[in-house]
Amino acid sequence: MDGSEFAIELKNISKSFGSVAANKNINLTLKKGEILALLGENGSGKTTLMNMLSGIYKPDTGSVFVDGKKVVISSPEDSVKLGIGMVHQHFKLVNVFTAADNILIGKTGEGDKSFFLKKDRYDKVDAIIKNFGFELDSRKLVSNMSVSEKQTLEIVKVLYYGAKTIILDEPTAVLTVQETTKLFDVLRKMKEKGHSIIIITHKLNEVMDISDRVAILRKGEYIDTVNTSETSEKQLTELMVGRKIDLAIDRPKMEKTKPVLEIRGLSVKSDEGNLALEDVSFYLRGGEILGVAGIAGSGQKELCEALAGLRKIEAGRVLHKGEDIAGATPKQILEKGVTMSFVPEDRLGMGLAPSLSITDNVILKKYKEGKGILVDRKTGAKDAAKIIKELEIVTPSADTAVRKLSGGNVQKVLLGREIAIDPNVIVTAYPVRGLDINSSYAVYNILNEQKKKGVGILFVGEDLDVMLALCDKIMVLCHGKLMGVVHAHKTTKEELGLMMTGALNTVHRGGKTAGVAKDSAIVEDEIIYTDTEAAK
Amino acid sequence: MGFHLVRKTDIKIWQIALYYLAGIAVSLILGAVLLTSLEINAVDYYKDMFTAGLIGNRFPAKTIENFFVSFVPLLITSLALALSFKMRFWNIGGEGQFIIGALTSSVIALKCPNMNPFLILLLMVITGMVFSGITGLAIAFLKTKFNTNETLATLMINYIALYVIRFIGDTKADWNFFLREDSVRPKFASFEENARMPYIDIGGYHLQFSVIFTVLIAFGIWFYLKYTKQGYEISVVGDSSKTAKYAGMNVNKIVLRTMFISAAMIGLAGAFTASSSAGVSANITNNVGWTGIIVAWLSKLSIPGIVVASFLISILQYGCRIASASYPSIDSHFADLLQGIILFSVLAADFLANYKIVRRKETDNA
Amino acid sequence: MPDSVNTLDIITQFLFYLVVYSIPLLYGTCGEITIEKSGSLNLGVEGTMAIGAIFGYLAGCAADNLFAGVIVAFVTAALTGAVFALFTVTFQANQNVTGLTITTFGVALYYFMGNALGEKWPVFVNSKKLVGSLESINIPGLSKIPVIGKAFFSHNILVYLGILMAVLLWVYFEKTRQGMRVRAIGENPGAADSLGIKVNLNKYLHIMLGSGIMGIGGLYMGFNMSGTFEGSNCWINGYGWIAIALVIFANWNPAKAILGTFVFGFFKTLAVYYGTLAGSFPNALGWLGKIPSHFFAALPFIITLVILIADSVRKNKHSNEPAAIGINYYREDR
Repeated sequence: MDGSEFAIELKNISKSFGSVAANKNINLTLKKGEILALLGENGSGKTTLMNMLSGIYKPDTGSVFVDGKKVVISSPEDSVKLGIGMVHQHFKLVNVFTAADNILIGKTGEGDKSFFLKKDRYDKVDAIIKNFGFELDSRKLVSNMSVSEKQTLEIVKVLYYGAKTIILDEPTAVLTVQETTKLFDVLRKMKEKGHSIIIITHKLNEVMDISDRVAILRKGEYIDTVNTSETSEKQLTELMVGRKIDLAIDRPKMEKTKPVLEIRGLSVKSDEGNLALEDVSFYLRGGEILGVAGIAGSGQKELCEALAGLRKIEAGRVLHKGEDIAGATPKQILEKGVTMSFVPEDRLGMGLAPSLSITDNVILKKYKEGKGILVDRKTGAKDAAKIIKELEIVTPSADTAVRKLSGGNVQKVLLGREIAIDPNVIVTAYPVRGLDINSSYAVYNILNEQKKKGVGILFVGEDLDVMLALCDKIMVLCHGKLMGVVHAHKTTKEELGLMMTGALNTVHRGGKTAGVAKDSAIVEDEIIYTDTEAAK
Repeated sequence: MGFHLVRKTDIKIWQIALYYLAGIAVSLILGAVLLTSLEINAVDYYKDMFTAGLIGNRFPAKTIENFFVSFVPLLITSLALALSFKMRFWNIGGEGQFIIGALTSSVIALKCPNMNPFLILLLMVITGMVFSGITGLAIAFLKTKFNTNETLATLMINYIALYVIRFIGDTKADWNFFLREDSVRPKFASFEENARMPYIDIGGYHLQFSVIFTVLIAFGIWFYLKYTKQGYEISVVGDSSKTAKYAGMNVNKIVLRTMFISAAMIGLAGAFTASSSAGVSANITNNVGWTGIIVAWLSKLSIPGIVVASFLISILQYGCRIASASYPSIDSHFADLLQGIILFSVLAADFLANYKIVRRKETDNA
Repeated sequence: MPDSVNTLDIITQFLFYLVVYSIPLLYGTCGEITIEKSGSLNLGVEGTMAIGAIFGYLAGCAADNLFAGVIVAFVTAALTGAVFALFTVTFQANQNVTGLTITTFGVALYYFMGNALGEKWPVFVNSKKLVGSLESINIPGLSKIPVIGKAFFSHNILVYLGILMAVLLWVYFEKTRQGMRVRAIGENPGAADSLGIKVNLNKYLHIMLGSGIMGIGGLYMGFNMSGTFEGSNCWINGYGWIAIALVIFANWNPAKAILGTFVFGFFKTLAVYYGTLAGSFPNALGWLGKIPSHFFAALPFIITLVILIADSVRKNKHSNEPAAIGINYYREDR
C-alpha cells in the first residue's frame, strides 16, 4: 500500500453548535481496507463527526488527514475529490429524477461530462451498476423506489464518484433483517476490493457481525477504539454508556382484561391515494403493550392517524370498549381517552408546536376546557411544572420554547402531556426515536407504569430487540397488510423479519385467526364470516 | 476559505433592537444619498419630513388631525394582516379588501342622507366589514378546500377591485349614485354631514372617533391573540397545522374564521377612511394594503411592535407628502422607496443579529 | 359590413398585437420559472420588471441604442435579483417577505426616477435609431403567408428573442447536465450539495439570470406604451403578478409558457382593440363596444383568478413544482 497505513486520521476535532459541544477533541483513525464501526448512543456526536468528513460541517478546531496528508474539507465537493463518500441516513436523492440522472448530475468525479444528457446514458449507467455488482434499473424514478433500492443507488453513486472511503450512517435502520444481511455481504465485498468503510450504528449485534474495529463515542467525546475480535457486546455497552447498566427491559405481567380497542377490517388510504392499510384486524387489551413492527412506510403512520381520527377510514370498524368510533373527530376520540403521540423523523413535526412554550404545548389537548373565551394558562402552568418535575425534564423554565429543548426532553414533554390526560388507550409511535439509552429507559418505564394502571398501549417501534423485550404481543405489517400477531416471548427476530418482508403470513396459523379476540364485542356471525373468508 | 456562518443561539432582545435601530439609521443614510444625488439638502428634507410641517405651522391641530386620518387605516390594516400572517396565510389582498370596505360602506352613506350620525357610522362599518370579510372568507374557503394559491388569489382581487372603483369613478350614468350630480365631469360625491366621522373638539383639535376605536381595536387584537382560546388556536395553526389537527382543532374552521376577521378589519379600515375623508376616491387606499405588509413584518408580527412601526411609517409617509410641497421633484413615492430600504435593512439586521461570521481556527499538532 | 380584405387585415392586426402584448409576459414568466427551478420563489417580479423597464428605457434613449437599453435592463434587473439572492440565500430571510419588498421598492423606484426627471424625461420617438431597431423583421418565406404571415412572422427583434429564450430555457432545464443540476437544487438542495454542485452559487446565478430576463420584459412593456411615463400608472401594472400565476399554469415549463402568455396576450389585445373590433364587425362584435373599458383592463386579472381557482379544483397530480421551493437552504441545518 502506498502512503500512510491510514485512510483517514482525525486529530483533536472539536465542533460546537452554539453553546452545545457536539464533538470534543476527537481522535480517530480508519485503516485502509477495514470496516470500522462508529458506535455511540444517539446524541453522542457520530453523525456530526462524519458530516465533517463529508463537508457538511466544518470543524471548529482540529485537523483531518487523508492518506497521510493534511487536508481541509470545506464543502461536499472537497470531500468527493478526496475520495470520501457518505451514504446519509436520510437519502440525498432527487425524487423526480431517474437513478441514472441522480448519478450523472454530479459535479466531480470521473466519466461522462458532456453538455447534453444523452439518450444512451441509461445503458451506460446500467453497465456501471452491473460492474459494481448491484441490481438496479437506471431508468427507474427515485420516487418509485423501495428504501433498499434507494440505498443501493446511494452506494452506487458514491462508488461512481470514485470513493475509496465509504461512510454509512445508520444504514440498517430502515432495512429488514434479510436486507441487512444482503447489505453486509455488499460491504464485505467492497472491503475485499480495497475500500475502507465506516459504519455508524448503535446496534451491537451488527457491530459484532460486520466490523474489524470499533470506535466508541460518548457525549461528544472519543472513548476508545477496540478490535472487534477482542471485545464483547457487554464491554461495548459499558464503553458506550459509561457505566454498567442492566440491559433488560422490564415486562410486568398483568391480568387479562377485556379488549379496550378492537379493529376489524380496517382499510385506510395514504396521501397518494393508494391503500396504506388493507383489511387489518387486531385488538388491544387493557394492561397490555401491543407492538407494531414493519418496514418503514408499511402503514404505521396511517394506522396511528386513523386511530386518532386524523385520517379518513375507508372501510372497517374501530371499537373502543364496544363502541364504534370510526369516523369520529379527533376531539371526540380524545374525549374517550384515546391518545396518540407520534414522533416523526424530524421529531417536532406532529404533536408539538415547536415555537410555543412548554406550558402552551402542555395545554394543547385541553385548552378548550373551562368556560369562557380565555385560555386557562394558570392550570396549564401547574400541569407543566408537574410534568417537568415528574419526568425530570431539563429546561430553564416552563416558558421556554419547546424547540430549544434537547431531543429527549422534547419527547418527555410529548409523552408527559399524553399521560396527564389519564388515557385508557395510548397509541405511541417511535417514542424513543433519537434518544440515548438512559432517556429511552425512562420512556419504557413511563409506558410500563401506564400499563400497570391498566392502560392499553399500542407501541409502534423500530428496534425489534426492544419490542421483543417490552411488548406482550407484536403485530407485523407489510405493505399495509397484517402478517399476523405473535406473542413476544414465543417469537424470534428472524420470524418477525420474514413477516416484515411478507415472506411469512401467520394470520391463520394453527386454525386461529390472528387479530380477532375470543371475547370480542363484535357479534359472533361476523367472526365466522372472517373465518370463512380465510377458508376460501 | 476560512469563514463560515454560524447561527447564534442566545440573543437578547436589546441586542436585536440595537441592530434594528442601526438598520433604520443606515436606511435613512441611503435615502440621504439618493436625495443628495438629486441635489437636495437631505438634512433639511428630513427635518421637514419628520416634523411633518408642524414647526412654523399656523394650524398644527389640522395637521395632526390629517396625520391620524392616514395613521388609522394603516394601523388597522397592519394588525389585520398580521392576524392572517400569524397563521401563515399570505393575505396580500389588503388593497382590494380596503376598497371593498370603503365602496360598500359609502353606499350606506350616500343612500341614507338623514340617518342619525352614530347609527349610520355603525351601519357603514358593519356593511364594509361584512362585504370585505366575505371576500376574505371566499379565498380562505378556496384555500382550505382546494389549496388555491392565496397569495395570487388575494392579489388578483386587488386589481379587480381597483378597476371596479375606477370604473365607478369614471362613468357618468343614471344609475351611478356614487358621483356628484352637479358636476359635468365624473367626480365622486361627498358624504352628507351625518356620514362624516364624529369627533370630540379638544381646544380646536378634532379628535375623531375612529382614532379612539383604533386604539381599542389594537388593544383588543393584542388581548385576543395573547389570552383567548381563539388566539391560542391561531398561534398553534401558524406554528404547525399538523399539530393543530392532531390536537383536535378544526384547522379549516380556524383559517376561515381568522381570514374573515382579517379581511373584515381591513373593510372596517376602509369604512373608517371613507367616513373620515367624507367620500371615496380611486386612490382611497393610500397603499395601506402594501404598506401594511411591510409594517407587519417590520414588527415581526408583534402587536405592540405594529403600533410603533405603523406610527413611524405613517410619519414617514405623511411627512413625505407634506415635504413634497416644498420639494416638487420628490413625491410621496420617496416614502415607499424608503420603506423598502428600511425593510431590507431590518432584514439584514435580523440576519446579523442571528448569525455570526466565524473564522476557522487551524490547530496544528502535526 | 367591411369587405373581406379589410376583415382579414383586422384579424392579422389583432393577431399581430396579440403577439406583441404576450411577449413581455413571456419574459416575466420565463424569468420566474428560471428562479423557481433553482428553488426560490420570487414575488418581486413586478418590482424587478419595473426597475429593468425604467433603467433600460432611460439608457436606451440616452444612447439611442436598443442594445444598450436591453443590456442595462438586464443588468439592473439582475442586480435587483442579486439583492433578492443576498437576502434569501445568504441572509436566510423569508422569500415571500423579500419578494414583496422588492416589489414595493422596485415600483417606488420607478415612480421616484420618473418624477425626479420631470421635464428631462426622454421622448421615445426622438430616439430615432432606437425606434428603428424596433422595426419589424420579416422572416423570409413565412412572412408571406396570408393573414398569419404578417401576424406571426413579422415582428421586432425582442419578440424573436423572447421565443428563442423560452425554447432555449426549455432545452437547458430538460436536456442539459447543467440544467438538471439546477433542477436538482430546486428539488433537493441537500442532494445537489452532496454531489458537489455549488448550491448557493447556482441559486445566485439563476436568480440573477431570471431577474435579468424579467427586466428585458419590463423594458419591452415600456416600449409597448411608447415609453410615455405616467405618474399614476406603472408600465408593469400588475403583469408581474400574472407572470407568477402563469408559472403555475405553464406547470414550470418554459415552452408551455409561450402558449400560456398568448392566452393573456389575447385579453390584453382585446382591451386595446375591442373598439376597433366592434367598429369593424358591428353585427358580430358590436356588443363589445358597449362593455366599459375598465372591464377589459380588469379582464386579465379576472381570468387569472378564474384559472387559478379552476386549476386548484382540478388538482393537477403531475405538478412539476420544485419540491424545495420557498425553503431556504442552510447546509448546517440539522
